[in-house]
Amino acid sequence: MNPKEKYRQICREAGATGLVLALIIVLWCVLGFGLSGSEVMVLGLPLWAVAGTVGIWLLAILLTFILVKFVFKDMALSKPFVKSDKE
Amino acid sequence: MGNLSALLPLLLFMGAMIGIGFYVRREGSRSGTGFVKNYFIGNHNLGGFVLAMTTVATYSSVSSFVGGPGMAWQIGFGWIYMAVVQVTAIFLVLGVYGKRVALLSRRLDAVTVVDIIRARFNSDNLAALAAFIIVLFFCATMTAQFVGGAKLFSAVTGYSYEMGLLLFGLTVVLYTAIGGFRAVALTDTCCAIVMMVGIVLLLYYVLQAGGGYMAIMDNLHANHPEMFEPLSAGHMPLTLYLTQWILVGICTIALPQSVVRGISYKDTKGLHQAMLIGTVVVGFMNIGINFTGILAHGVLTGPLESYGGVDNIIPKTIITAMPPSLVGFAIIGPLAASISTISGLLIVASSAIIKDIYLHAKKSQGEKVSDKKLRLLSMAATGIIGVLVFAIAVTPPSLIWIINMFAFGGLETAFFWVLLLGLFWRKANKAGALLAMAGGTFIYILPMLGKILLLLTSAEWAAAFAEALNWSPFGLHRIVLGLTVSLVCFIIGAYKGKPTKEETLALFFPGK
Repeated sequence: MNPKEKYRQICREAGATGLVLALIIVLWCVLGFGLSGSEVMVLGLPLWAVAGTVGIWLLAILLTFILVKFVFKDMALSKPFVKSDKE
Repeated sequence: MGNLSALLPLLLFMGAMIGIGFYVRREGSRSGTGFVKNYFIGNHNLGGFVLAMTTVATYSSVSSFVGGPGMAWQIGFGWIYMAVVQVTAIFLVLGVYGKRVALLSRRLDAVTVVDIIRARFNSDNLAALAAFIIVLFFCATMTAQFVGGAKLFSAVTGYSYEMGLLLFGLTVVLYTAIGGFRAVALTDTCCAIVMMVGIVLLLYYVLQAGGGYMAIMDNLHANHPEMFEPLSAGHMPLTLYLTQWILVGICTIALPQSVVRGISYKDTKGLHQAMLIGTVVVGFMNIGINFTGILAHGVLTGPLESYGGVDNIIPKTIITAMPPSLVGFAIIGPLAASISTISGLLIVASSAIIKDIYLHAKKSQGEKVSDKKLRLLSMAATGIIGVLVFAIAVTPPSLIWIINMFAFGGLETAFFWVLLLGLFWRKANKAGALLAMAGGTFIYILPMLGKILLLLTSAEWAAAFAEALNWSPFGLHRIVLGLTVSLVCFIIGAYKGKPTKEETLALFFPGK
Protein backbone atom coordinates (compact mmCIF):
# COMPACT_ATOMS: atom_id res chain seq x y z
CA MET A 1 0.00 0.00 0.00
CA ASN A 2 1.20 3.51 -0.73
CA PRO A 3 0.69 6.30 1.83
CA LYS A 4 -2.53 7.43 0.27
CA GLU A 5 -4.01 3.95 0.27
CA LYS A 6 -2.89 3.45 3.85
CA TYR A 7 -4.60 6.63 4.94
CA ARG A 8 -7.79 5.66 3.11
CA GLN A 9 -7.72 2.23 4.71
CA ILE A 10 -7.15 3.71 8.17
CA CYS A 11 -10.14 6.02 7.74
CA ARG A 12 -12.25 3.07 6.62
CA GLU A 13 -11.17 1.10 9.69
CA ALA A 14 -11.81 3.99 12.07
CA GLY A 15 -15.26 4.48 10.55
CA ALA A 16 -16.09 0.79 10.84
CA THR A 17 -14.95 0.86 14.48
CA GLY A 18 -17.32 3.76 15.08
CA LEU A 19 -20.16 1.82 13.44
CA VAL A 20 -19.49 -1.15 15.70
CA LEU A 21 -19.68 1.20 18.69
CA ALA A 22 -23.04 2.52 17.48
CA LEU A 23 -24.28 -1.03 16.96
CA ILE A 24 -23.20 -2.05 20.46
CA ILE A 25 -24.98 0.95 21.97
CA VAL A 26 -28.20 -0.07 20.21
CA LEU A 27 -27.80 -3.73 21.20
CA TRP A 28 -27.05 -2.68 24.77
CA CYS A 29 -30.33 -0.76 24.95
CA VAL A 30 -32.31 -3.59 23.36
CA LEU A 31 -30.81 -6.46 25.34
CA GLY A 32 -30.87 -4.61 28.66
CA PHE A 33 -33.69 -2.10 28.97
CA GLY A 34 -35.59 -3.76 26.11
CA LEU A 35 -35.71 -7.13 27.85
CA SER A 36 -36.23 -5.81 31.37
CA GLY A 37 -39.96 -6.60 31.24
CA SER A 38 -39.37 -10.27 30.38
CA GLU A 39 -40.30 -12.90 32.97
CA VAL A 40 -37.78 -15.40 31.62
CA MET A 41 -35.13 -16.46 34.15
CA VAL A 42 -31.64 -17.70 33.29
CA LEU A 43 -29.58 -19.24 36.11
CA GLY A 44 -31.74 -17.51 38.67
CA LEU A 45 -31.35 -14.14 36.95
CA PRO A 46 -33.81 -12.14 34.87
CA LEU A 47 -33.07 -12.36 31.15
CA TRP A 48 -31.95 -8.70 30.80
CA ALA A 49 -29.34 -9.10 33.54
CA VAL A 50 -27.65 -11.84 31.51
CA ALA A 51 -28.22 -10.57 27.96
CA GLY A 52 -27.34 -6.98 28.85
CA THR A 53 -24.05 -7.91 30.53
CA VAL A 54 -22.50 -11.22 29.46
CA GLY A 55 -24.49 -11.05 26.21
CA ILE A 56 -23.08 -7.62 25.35
CA TRP A 57 -19.59 -8.77 26.21
CA LEU A 58 -19.82 -11.78 23.89
CA LEU A 59 -21.31 -9.65 21.12
CA ALA A 60 -18.51 -7.11 21.51
CA ILE A 61 -15.97 -9.93 21.14
CA LEU A 62 -17.78 -11.26 18.07
CA LEU A 63 -18.03 -7.82 16.44
CA THR A 64 -14.37 -7.05 17.18
CA PHE A 65 -13.48 -10.37 15.60
CA ILE A 66 -15.46 -9.48 12.48
CA LEU A 67 -13.74 -6.07 12.40
CA VAL A 68 -10.19 -7.36 12.55
CA LYS A 69 -10.93 -10.31 10.29
CA PHE A 70 -12.82 -8.61 7.49
CA VAL A 71 -12.30 -4.85 7.68
CA PHE A 72 -8.85 -4.34 9.12
CA LYS A 73 -5.90 -5.01 6.83
CA ASP A 74 -2.27 -5.64 7.59
CA MET A 75 0.09 -2.90 6.49
CA ALA A 76 3.79 -2.22 6.87
CA LEU A 77 4.59 0.23 9.66
CA SER A 78 8.36 0.08 9.68
CA LYS A 79 8.93 2.31 6.66
CA PRO A 80 5.54 3.88 6.41
CA PHE A 81 5.70 6.95 4.22
CA VAL A 82 9.33 6.75 3.17
CA LYS A 83 8.62 8.36 -0.15
CA SER A 84 5.38 10.19 -0.39
CA ASP A 85 4.55 12.07 -3.55
CA LYS A 86 5.74 15.29 -1.91
CA GLU A 87 9.20 14.11 -1.01
CA MET B 1 -0.16 -7.02 64.64
CA GLY B 2 -0.66 -7.76 60.98
CA ASN B 3 -1.14 -11.01 59.17
CA LEU B 4 2.38 -12.11 58.19
CA SER B 5 1.23 -14.80 55.76
CA ALA B 6 -0.67 -12.10 53.88
CA LEU B 7 2.54 -10.18 53.38
CA LEU B 8 4.70 -12.88 51.88
CA PRO B 9 2.99 -13.38 48.50
CA LEU B 10 2.82 -9.63 48.15
CA LEU B 11 6.53 -9.21 48.83
CA LEU B 12 7.34 -11.90 46.29
CA PHE B 13 5.14 -10.28 43.67
CA MET B 14 6.60 -6.81 44.22
CA GLY B 15 10.10 -8.30 44.15
CA ALA B 16 9.33 -9.90 40.79
CA MET B 17 8.11 -6.56 39.41
CA ILE B 18 11.35 -4.85 40.41
CA GLY B 19 13.23 -7.75 38.86
CA ILE B 20 11.46 -7.08 35.57
CA GLY B 21 12.51 -3.43 35.81
CA PHE B 22 16.18 -4.34 36.13
CA TYR B 23 15.96 -7.04 33.47
CA VAL B 24 14.45 -4.64 30.93
CA ARG B 25 17.12 -2.06 31.70
CA ARG B 26 19.90 -4.54 30.99
CA GLU B 27 18.28 -5.66 27.76
CA GLY B 28 17.68 -2.07 26.71
CA SER B 29 21.25 -0.96 27.24
CA ARG B 30 22.31 -3.70 24.83
CA SER B 31 19.86 -2.81 22.07
CA GLY B 32 21.87 0.20 20.93
CA THR B 33 18.91 2.30 19.76
CA GLY B 34 18.22 5.86 20.90
CA PHE B 35 17.51 6.18 24.58
CA VAL B 36 14.39 8.32 24.44
CA LYS B 37 12.56 6.01 22.07
CA ASN B 38 13.59 3.03 24.12
CA TYR B 39 12.72 4.47 27.50
CA PHE B 40 9.42 6.19 26.72
CA ILE B 41 7.93 3.89 24.11
CA GLY B 42 9.77 0.57 24.31
CA ASN B 43 11.24 1.01 20.85
CA HIS B 44 8.01 0.16 18.95
CA ASN B 45 8.40 -3.43 20.00
CA LEU B 46 5.27 -4.68 21.80
CA GLY B 47 3.47 -7.81 20.63
CA GLY B 48 -0.30 -8.21 20.55
CA PHE B 49 -0.73 -9.93 23.90
CA VAL B 50 1.39 -7.45 25.86
CA LEU B 51 -0.23 -4.51 24.06
CA ALA B 52 -3.69 -5.78 25.05
CA MET B 53 -2.69 -6.39 28.66
CA THR B 54 -0.93 -3.09 29.19
CA THR B 55 -3.82 -1.15 27.68
CA VAL B 56 -6.36 -2.93 29.88
CA ALA B 57 -4.23 -2.80 33.03
CA THR B 58 -3.53 0.91 32.73
CA TYR B 59 -7.20 1.53 32.10
CA SER B 60 -8.47 -0.64 35.00
CA SER B 61 -7.75 1.20 38.22
CA VAL B 62 -7.98 0.29 41.88
CA SER B 63 -11.48 1.77 41.96
CA SER B 64 -12.66 -0.78 39.39
CA PHE B 65 -11.58 -3.38 41.93
CA VAL B 66 -12.73 -1.84 45.21
CA GLY B 67 -15.24 1.02 44.88
CA GLY B 68 -16.96 -0.45 41.79
CA PRO B 69 -17.86 -3.88 43.16
CA GLY B 70 -18.82 -2.21 46.45
CA MET B 71 -21.39 -0.24 44.47
CA ALA B 72 -22.51 -3.46 42.74
CA TRP B 73 -23.10 -4.93 46.21
CA GLN B 74 -25.39 -2.03 46.96
CA ILE B 75 -27.14 -1.54 43.61
CA GLY B 76 -27.25 -4.96 41.95
CA PHE B 77 -27.25 -5.96 38.30
CA GLY B 78 -27.84 -2.42 37.09
CA TRP B 79 -24.27 -1.72 38.14
CA ILE B 80 -22.85 -4.53 35.99
CA TYR B 81 -25.08 -3.44 33.13
CA MET B 82 -23.49 -0.01 33.45
CA ALA B 83 -19.93 -1.30 33.91
CA VAL B 84 -20.15 -3.45 30.80
CA VAL B 85 -20.08 -0.34 28.57
CA GLN B 86 -16.32 -0.50 29.15
CA VAL B 87 -16.03 -3.49 26.79
CA THR B 88 -15.96 -0.87 24.04
CA ALA B 89 -12.95 0.99 25.45
CA ILE B 90 -10.13 -1.18 24.10
CA PHE B 91 -11.26 -1.94 20.54
CA LEU B 92 -12.30 1.69 20.14
CA VAL B 93 -9.03 3.35 21.08
CA LEU B 94 -6.91 0.79 19.21
CA GLY B 95 -9.28 0.62 16.24
CA VAL B 96 -9.59 4.38 15.76
CA TYR B 97 -6.08 5.55 16.67
CA GLY B 98 -3.93 2.41 16.69
CA LYS B 99 -2.63 2.58 13.12
CA ARG B 100 -2.99 6.31 12.69
CA VAL B 101 -0.57 7.15 15.51
CA ALA B 102 1.69 4.17 14.74
CA LEU B 103 2.36 5.44 11.22
CA LEU B 104 2.57 9.10 12.22
CA SER B 105 4.93 8.47 15.11
CA ARG B 106 7.37 6.69 12.79
CA ARG B 107 7.09 9.36 10.16
CA LEU B 108 7.47 12.27 12.58
CA ASP B 109 9.87 10.43 14.86
CA ALA B 110 7.34 11.12 17.61
CA VAL B 111 7.45 9.41 20.99
CA THR B 112 4.49 11.01 22.76
CA VAL B 113 0.94 12.00 21.92
CA VAL B 114 1.96 15.60 22.56
CA ASP B 115 4.69 15.26 19.89
CA ILE B 116 2.01 14.37 17.37
CA ILE B 117 -0.27 17.20 18.48
CA ARG B 118 2.62 19.69 18.25
CA ALA B 119 3.46 18.57 14.73
CA ARG B 120 -0.14 18.52 13.54
CA PHE B 121 -0.97 22.05 14.69
CA ASN B 122 2.53 23.60 14.57
CA SER B 123 1.95 25.03 18.01
CA ASP B 124 4.29 25.03 20.96
CA ASN B 125 1.67 26.71 23.13
CA LEU B 126 -0.80 23.93 22.46
CA ALA B 127 1.88 21.34 23.24
CA ALA B 128 2.78 23.09 26.48
CA LEU B 129 -0.87 23.30 27.51
CA ALA B 130 -1.35 19.61 26.72
CA ALA B 131 1.73 18.65 28.73
CA PHE B 132 0.55 20.76 31.66
CA ILE B 133 -2.91 19.19 31.64
CA ILE B 134 -1.36 15.73 31.51
CA VAL B 135 1.01 16.32 34.42
CA LEU B 136 -1.60 18.02 36.63
CA PHE B 137 -4.35 15.44 36.20
CA PHE B 138 -2.04 12.44 36.14
CA CYS B 139 -0.49 13.43 39.46
CA ALA B 140 -3.91 13.72 41.09
CA THR B 141 -5.01 10.37 39.64
CA MET B 142 -1.81 8.67 40.77
CA THR B 143 -2.27 9.98 44.30
CA ALA B 144 -5.77 8.53 44.39
CA GLN B 145 -4.41 5.18 43.19
CA PHE B 146 -1.73 5.19 45.89
CA VAL B 147 -4.27 6.02 48.59
CA GLY B 148 -6.79 3.42 47.36
CA GLY B 149 -4.18 0.68 47.27
CA ALA B 150 -2.68 1.54 50.66
CA LYS B 151 -6.09 1.73 52.35
CA LEU B 152 -7.01 -1.69 50.98
CA PHE B 153 -3.67 -3.06 52.11
CA SER B 154 -4.07 -1.88 55.68
CA ALA B 155 -7.73 -2.94 55.91
CA VAL B 156 -6.99 -6.47 54.77
CA THR B 157 -3.57 -7.25 56.24
CA GLY B 158 -3.76 -5.30 59.48
CA TYR B 159 -0.48 -3.54 58.78
CA SER B 160 -0.34 0.24 58.65
CA TYR B 161 -1.36 2.44 55.74
CA GLU B 162 2.16 3.89 55.54
CA MET B 163 3.72 0.47 55.32
CA GLY B 164 1.44 -0.48 52.43
CA LEU B 165 2.31 2.74 50.69
CA LEU B 166 6.01 2.11 51.16
CA LEU B 167 5.78 -1.47 50.01
CA PHE B 168 3.95 -1.10 46.72
CA GLY B 169 4.42 2.64 46.19
CA LEU B 170 8.19 2.53 46.15
CA THR B 171 8.06 -0.64 44.08
CA VAL B 172 6.12 0.96 41.27
CA VAL B 173 8.21 4.13 41.27
CA LEU B 174 11.40 2.09 41.23
CA TYR B 175 10.58 -0.26 38.38
CA THR B 176 9.06 2.48 36.24
CA ALA B 177 12.06 4.77 36.72
CA ILE B 178 14.55 2.01 36.02
CA GLY B 179 12.92 0.13 33.19
CA GLY B 180 10.81 2.78 31.44
CA PHE B 181 7.92 1.96 29.15
CA ARG B 182 8.93 -1.59 28.37
CA ALA B 183 9.06 -2.45 32.07
CA VAL B 184 5.67 -0.80 32.47
CA ALA B 185 4.22 -2.93 29.66
CA LEU B 186 5.66 -6.19 30.97
CA THR B 187 4.70 -5.58 34.61
CA ASP B 188 1.25 -4.48 33.41
CA THR B 189 0.90 -7.85 31.73
CA CYS B 190 1.75 -9.65 34.96
CA CYS B 191 -0.64 -7.34 36.81
CA ALA B 192 -3.51 -8.03 34.41
CA ILE B 193 -2.98 -11.76 34.81
CA VAL B 194 -2.96 -11.65 38.62
CA MET B 195 -6.01 -9.39 38.55
CA MET B 196 -7.92 -12.08 36.66
CA VAL B 197 -6.63 -14.85 38.92
CA GLY B 198 -7.58 -12.73 41.94
CA ILE B 199 -11.14 -12.32 40.66
CA VAL B 200 -11.57 -16.06 40.10
CA LEU B 201 -10.11 -16.84 43.52
CA LEU B 202 -12.34 -14.39 45.32
CA LEU B 203 -15.41 -15.50 43.37
CA TYR B 204 -14.76 -19.11 44.35
CA TYR B 205 -14.43 -18.37 48.05
CA VAL B 206 -17.39 -16.00 48.09
CA LEU B 207 -19.57 -18.73 46.58
CA GLN B 208 -18.25 -21.21 49.15
CA ALA B 209 -18.75 -18.93 52.12
CA GLY B 210 -22.17 -17.82 50.92
CA GLY B 211 -23.53 -21.37 50.75
CA GLY B 212 -23.50 -21.73 46.96
CA TYR B 213 -24.78 -19.72 44.01
CA MET B 214 -28.45 -20.68 44.27
CA ALA B 215 -28.65 -20.00 48.00
CA ILE B 216 -27.23 -16.50 47.51
CA MET B 217 -29.60 -15.80 44.61
CA ASP B 218 -32.66 -17.02 46.51
CA ASN B 219 -31.75 -14.76 49.39
CA LEU B 220 -31.29 -11.78 47.04
CA HIS B 221 -34.64 -12.40 45.32
CA ALA B 222 -36.34 -12.55 48.70
CA ASN B 223 -34.63 -9.59 50.40
CA HIS B 224 -33.40 -7.29 47.63
CA PRO B 225 -35.75 -7.63 44.63
CA GLU B 226 -34.76 -4.15 43.38
CA MET B 227 -31.26 -5.45 42.63
CA PHE B 228 -32.74 -7.33 39.66
CA GLU B 229 -34.15 -4.18 38.03
CA PRO B 230 -32.04 -2.03 35.69
CA LEU B 231 -33.03 1.17 37.49
CA SER B 232 -32.65 -0.50 40.90
CA ALA B 233 -35.71 1.27 42.37
CA GLY B 234 -34.25 4.66 41.52
CA HIS B 235 -30.65 4.01 42.66
CA MET B 236 -29.51 3.89 39.02
CA PRO B 237 -31.09 6.83 37.17
CA LEU B 238 -31.03 6.90 33.37
CA THR B 239 -28.77 9.96 33.40
CA LEU B 240 -26.11 7.90 35.18
CA TYR B 241 -26.18 5.31 32.39
CA LEU B 242 -25.81 8.07 29.82
CA THR B 243 -22.94 9.65 31.75
CA GLN B 244 -21.12 6.35 31.98
CA TRP B 245 -21.41 5.74 28.24
CA ILE B 246 -19.74 9.07 27.63
CA LEU B 247 -17.24 9.10 30.50
CA VAL B 248 -15.98 5.51 30.70
CA GLY B 249 -17.06 4.31 27.25
CA ILE B 250 -16.80 6.56 24.22
CA CYS B 251 -14.53 9.36 25.46
CA THR B 252 -11.88 7.05 26.87
CA ILE B 253 -10.46 6.98 23.33
CA ALA B 254 -9.06 10.43 24.08
CA LEU B 255 -7.02 9.44 27.15
CA PRO B 256 -3.36 10.11 26.31
CA GLN B 257 -2.20 7.12 28.37
CA SER B 258 -4.31 4.87 26.09
CA VAL B 259 -3.53 6.59 22.78
CA VAL B 260 0.23 6.45 23.43
CA ARG B 261 -0.04 2.67 23.31
CA GLY B 262 -0.72 2.99 19.60
CA ILE B 263 2.87 4.22 19.21
CA SER B 264 4.32 1.29 21.08
CA TYR B 265 3.45 -1.87 19.17
CA LYS B 266 5.45 -3.68 16.54
CA ASP B 267 3.14 -4.63 13.68
CA THR B 268 -0.51 -4.47 12.65
CA LYS B 269 -1.03 -8.15 13.28
CA GLY B 270 -0.28 -7.48 16.95
CA LEU B 271 -2.70 -4.56 16.97
CA HIS B 272 -5.52 -6.72 15.61
CA GLN B 273 -4.80 -9.41 18.18
CA ALA B 274 -4.72 -6.82 20.95
CA MET B 275 -8.15 -5.45 20.03
CA LEU B 276 -9.62 -8.91 20.39
CA ILE B 277 -7.70 -10.01 23.50
CA GLY B 278 -8.25 -6.63 25.16
CA THR B 279 -12.01 -6.83 24.66
CA VAL B 280 -12.12 -10.34 26.11
CA VAL B 281 -10.06 -9.32 29.14
CA VAL B 282 -11.73 -6.02 29.93
CA GLY B 283 -15.17 -7.67 29.82
CA PHE B 284 -14.05 -10.56 31.97
CA MET B 285 -12.66 -8.22 34.61
CA ASN B 286 -15.58 -5.84 34.70
CA ILE B 287 -18.28 -8.48 34.78
CA GLY B 288 -16.30 -10.81 37.03
CA ILE B 289 -15.41 -8.37 39.78
CA ASN B 290 -18.80 -6.64 39.88
CA PHE B 291 -20.64 -9.96 39.87
CA THR B 292 -18.45 -11.02 42.79
CA GLY B 293 -19.49 -7.79 44.50
CA ILE B 294 -23.15 -8.75 44.18
CA LEU B 295 -22.54 -12.30 45.37
CA ALA B 296 -20.77 -10.90 48.43
CA HIS B 297 -24.27 -10.52 49.85
CA GLY B 298 -23.87 -14.17 50.79
CA VAL B 299 -20.93 -13.17 53.00
CA LEU B 300 -21.87 -9.70 54.22
CA THR B 301 -25.52 -9.89 55.23
CA GLY B 302 -25.81 -6.69 57.29
CA PRO B 303 -26.87 -3.24 56.10
CA LEU B 304 -24.33 -1.02 54.33
CA GLU B 305 -23.87 1.26 57.37
CA SER B 306 -22.56 -1.62 59.45
CA TYR B 307 -19.61 -1.93 57.07
CA GLY B 308 -18.87 1.80 56.90
CA GLY B 309 -19.49 2.55 53.22
CA VAL B 310 -19.17 0.86 49.83
CA ASP B 311 -15.37 1.14 49.75
CA ASN B 312 -15.17 -1.30 52.66
CA ILE B 313 -17.28 -4.02 51.04
CA ILE B 314 -14.49 -5.73 49.10
CA PRO B 315 -11.87 -5.58 51.91
CA LYS B 316 -14.44 -6.99 54.38
CA THR B 317 -15.43 -9.67 51.88
CA ILE B 318 -11.82 -10.73 51.42
CA ILE B 319 -11.24 -11.00 55.17
CA THR B 320 -14.51 -12.84 55.82
CA ALA B 321 -14.59 -15.24 52.89
CA MET B 322 -10.95 -16.12 52.28
CA PRO B 323 -8.83 -18.45 54.40
CA PRO B 324 -6.13 -16.32 56.12
CA SER B 325 -3.35 -18.08 54.25
CA LEU B 326 -4.80 -16.93 50.89
CA VAL B 327 -5.61 -13.35 51.82
CA GLY B 328 -2.21 -12.29 50.52
CA PHE B 329 -3.04 -13.62 47.06
CA ALA B 330 -6.46 -12.00 47.05
CA ILE B 331 -5.12 -8.49 47.58
CA ILE B 332 -2.42 -8.79 44.93
CA GLY B 333 -5.21 -8.37 42.35
CA PRO B 334 -6.48 -4.95 43.47
CA LEU B 335 -2.95 -3.75 44.28
CA ALA B 336 -1.86 -4.84 40.80
CA ALA B 337 -4.71 -2.75 39.40
CA SER B 338 -3.38 0.17 41.36
CA ILE B 339 0.32 -0.12 40.43
CA SER B 340 -0.38 -0.85 36.77
CA THR B 341 -2.36 2.37 36.48
CA ILE B 342 0.27 4.36 38.37
CA SER B 343 3.13 3.06 36.21
CA GLY B 344 1.29 3.84 32.97
CA LEU B 345 0.56 7.40 34.07
CA LEU B 346 3.99 7.94 35.60
CA ILE B 347 5.89 7.15 32.42
CA VAL B 348 3.64 9.40 30.33
CA ALA B 349 3.91 12.25 32.86
CA SER B 350 7.67 11.87 32.82
CA SER B 351 7.75 11.87 29.01
CA ALA B 352 5.68 15.06 29.03
CA ILE B 353 8.32 16.80 31.11
CA ILE B 354 11.46 15.37 29.48
CA LYS B 355 10.41 14.97 25.87
CA ASP B 356 7.65 17.53 25.42
CA ILE B 357 9.09 20.35 27.50
CA TYR B 358 12.81 19.90 28.23
CA LEU B 359 14.03 18.28 25.03
CA HIS B 360 11.88 20.51 22.89
CA ALA B 361 13.30 23.62 24.57
CA LYS B 362 16.86 22.34 24.02
CA LYS B 363 16.13 21.52 20.42
CA SER B 364 14.71 24.92 19.63
CA GLN B 365 17.84 26.48 21.14
CA GLY B 366 19.83 24.23 18.86
CA GLU B 367 21.51 22.39 21.73
CA LYS B 368 22.11 18.67 21.61
CA VAL B 369 21.72 16.57 24.73
CA SER B 370 23.93 13.53 25.11
CA ASP B 371 22.32 10.12 25.51
CA LYS B 372 24.00 9.67 28.85
CA LYS B 373 22.62 12.90 30.23
CA LEU B 374 19.15 12.09 28.87
CA ARG B 375 19.24 8.72 30.53
CA LEU B 376 20.00 10.30 33.87
CA LEU B 377 17.45 13.08 33.47
CA SER B 378 14.65 10.76 32.34
CA MET B 379 15.13 8.39 35.22
CA ALA B 380 15.41 11.30 37.61
CA ALA B 381 12.20 12.88 36.26
CA THR B 382 10.27 9.62 36.61
CA GLY B 383 11.69 9.06 40.09
CA ILE B 384 11.02 12.61 41.27
CA ILE B 385 7.41 12.71 40.04
CA GLY B 386 6.85 9.29 41.57
CA VAL B 387 8.33 10.19 44.93
CA LEU B 388 6.51 13.51 44.96
CA VAL B 389 3.15 11.84 44.38
CA PHE B 390 4.09 9.21 46.93
CA ALA B 391 4.83 11.92 49.51
CA ILE B 392 1.51 13.62 48.79
CA ALA B 393 -0.27 10.29 49.28
CA VAL B 394 1.04 9.94 52.84
CA THR B 395 -1.32 12.71 53.95
CA PRO B 396 -3.28 13.75 50.88
CA PRO B 397 -4.53 17.36 51.09
CA SER B 398 -8.15 18.16 50.15
CA LEU B 399 -6.86 19.97 47.08
CA ILE B 400 -5.74 16.68 45.54
CA TRP B 401 -9.19 15.12 45.98
CA ILE B 402 -10.81 18.09 44.30
CA ILE B 403 -8.43 17.86 41.31
CA ASN B 404 -8.82 14.08 41.16
CA MET B 405 -12.60 14.41 40.86
CA PHE B 406 -12.11 16.32 37.62
CA ALA B 407 -9.06 14.47 36.27
CA PHE B 408 -10.67 11.76 34.16
CA GLY B 409 -13.26 14.00 32.50
CA GLY B 410 -10.77 16.85 32.25
CA LEU B 411 -8.34 14.77 30.23
CA GLU B 412 -11.15 13.55 27.99
CA THR B 413 -12.46 17.06 27.40
CA ALA B 414 -8.97 18.38 26.65
CA PHE B 415 -8.00 15.71 24.14
CA PHE B 416 -11.22 14.37 22.61
CA TRP B 417 -11.78 16.77 19.71
CA VAL B 418 -8.15 17.80 19.41
CA LEU B 419 -7.16 14.22 18.63
CA LEU B 420 -10.25 13.06 16.75
CA LEU B 421 -10.64 16.10 14.50
CA GLY B 422 -6.92 16.80 14.38
CA LEU B 423 -6.10 13.38 13.00
CA PHE B 424 -9.08 12.89 10.70
CA TRP B 425 -10.14 16.34 9.52
CA ARG B 426 -7.98 18.40 7.15
CA LYS B 427 -9.63 21.66 8.10
CA ALA B 428 -8.70 21.28 11.77
CA ASN B 429 -6.21 24.05 12.57
CA LYS B 430 -4.13 25.59 15.33
CA ALA B 431 -6.70 28.21 16.34
CA GLY B 432 -9.45 25.62 16.65
CA ALA B 433 -7.34 23.17 18.61
CA LEU B 434 -6.06 25.82 21.02
CA LEU B 435 -9.53 27.21 21.62
CA ALA B 436 -11.02 23.72 21.99
CA MET B 437 -8.44 22.48 24.47
CA ALA B 438 -8.30 25.64 26.55
CA GLY B 439 -11.99 26.57 26.34
CA GLY B 440 -13.47 23.12 26.81
CA THR B 441 -11.20 22.21 29.69
CA PHE B 442 -11.73 25.57 31.36
CA ILE B 443 -15.51 25.21 31.21
CA TYR B 444 -15.26 21.65 32.44
CA ILE B 445 -13.09 22.50 35.46
CA LEU B 446 -14.94 25.67 36.51
CA PRO B 447 -16.62 23.82 39.40
CA MET B 448 -13.17 22.60 40.42
CA LEU B 449 -11.90 26.18 40.57
CA GLY B 450 -14.96 27.11 42.61
CA LYS B 451 -14.28 24.33 45.08
CA ILE B 452 -10.62 25.31 45.37
CA LEU B 453 -11.61 28.91 46.01
CA LEU B 454 -13.98 27.73 48.72
CA LEU B 455 -11.23 25.60 50.21
CA LEU B 456 -8.87 28.57 50.35
CA THR B 457 -11.25 31.21 51.67
CA SER B 458 -14.11 29.20 53.24
CA ALA B 459 -16.14 32.39 52.93
CA GLU B 460 -19.88 32.47 52.41
CA TRP B 461 -19.71 34.24 49.07
CA ALA B 462 -17.26 31.57 47.86
CA ALA B 463 -19.76 28.85 48.74
CA ALA B 464 -22.49 30.58 46.75
CA PHE B 465 -20.06 31.15 43.88
CA ALA B 466 -18.92 27.52 43.86
CA GLU B 467 -22.55 26.43 43.84
CA ALA B 468 -23.30 28.65 40.83
CA LEU B 469 -20.28 27.31 38.92
CA ASN B 470 -21.57 23.80 39.42
CA TRP B 471 -24.47 24.38 37.03
CA SER B 472 -24.92 21.90 34.20
CA PRO B 473 -27.74 21.67 31.62
CA PHE B 474 -30.51 19.14 32.38
CA GLY B 475 -28.54 17.83 35.35
CA LEU B 476 -26.26 15.97 32.92
CA HIS B 477 -22.66 15.27 33.80
CA ARG B 478 -20.44 18.26 33.37
CA ILE B 479 -18.46 16.55 30.60
CA VAL B 480 -21.39 17.02 28.20
CA LEU B 481 -21.02 20.77 28.62
CA GLY B 482 -17.22 20.60 28.37
CA LEU B 483 -17.29 18.56 25.15
CA THR B 484 -19.95 20.75 23.56
CA VAL B 485 -18.06 23.96 24.30
CA SER B 486 -14.85 22.36 23.09
CA LEU B 487 -16.44 21.30 19.79
CA VAL B 488 -17.99 24.71 19.17
CA CYS B 489 -14.63 26.38 19.89
CA PHE B 490 -12.90 23.98 17.52
CA ILE B 491 -15.27 24.66 14.65
CA ILE B 492 -15.19 28.43 15.14
CA GLY B 493 -11.39 28.32 15.17
CA ALA B 494 -11.29 26.11 12.09
CA TYR B 495 -13.41 28.49 10.02
CA LYS B 496 -12.17 31.81 11.40
CA GLY B 497 -8.50 31.01 11.99
CA LYS B 498 -5.61 30.53 9.58
CA PRO B 499 -5.62 27.16 7.77
CA THR B 500 -2.81 24.71 8.45
CA LYS B 501 0.33 24.94 6.28
CA GLU B 502 0.34 22.74 3.18
CA GLU B 503 3.60 20.98 4.21
CA THR B 504 2.01 19.89 7.46
CA LEU B 505 -1.15 18.71 5.76
CA ALA B 506 0.92 16.71 3.27
CA LEU B 507 2.58 14.94 6.19
CA PHE B 508 -0.68 14.11 7.90
CA PHE B 509 -3.00 13.58 4.96
CA PRO B 510 -0.98 11.98 2.19
CA GLY B 511 -2.08 12.36 -1.39
CA LYS B 512 -5.00 14.71 -1.58
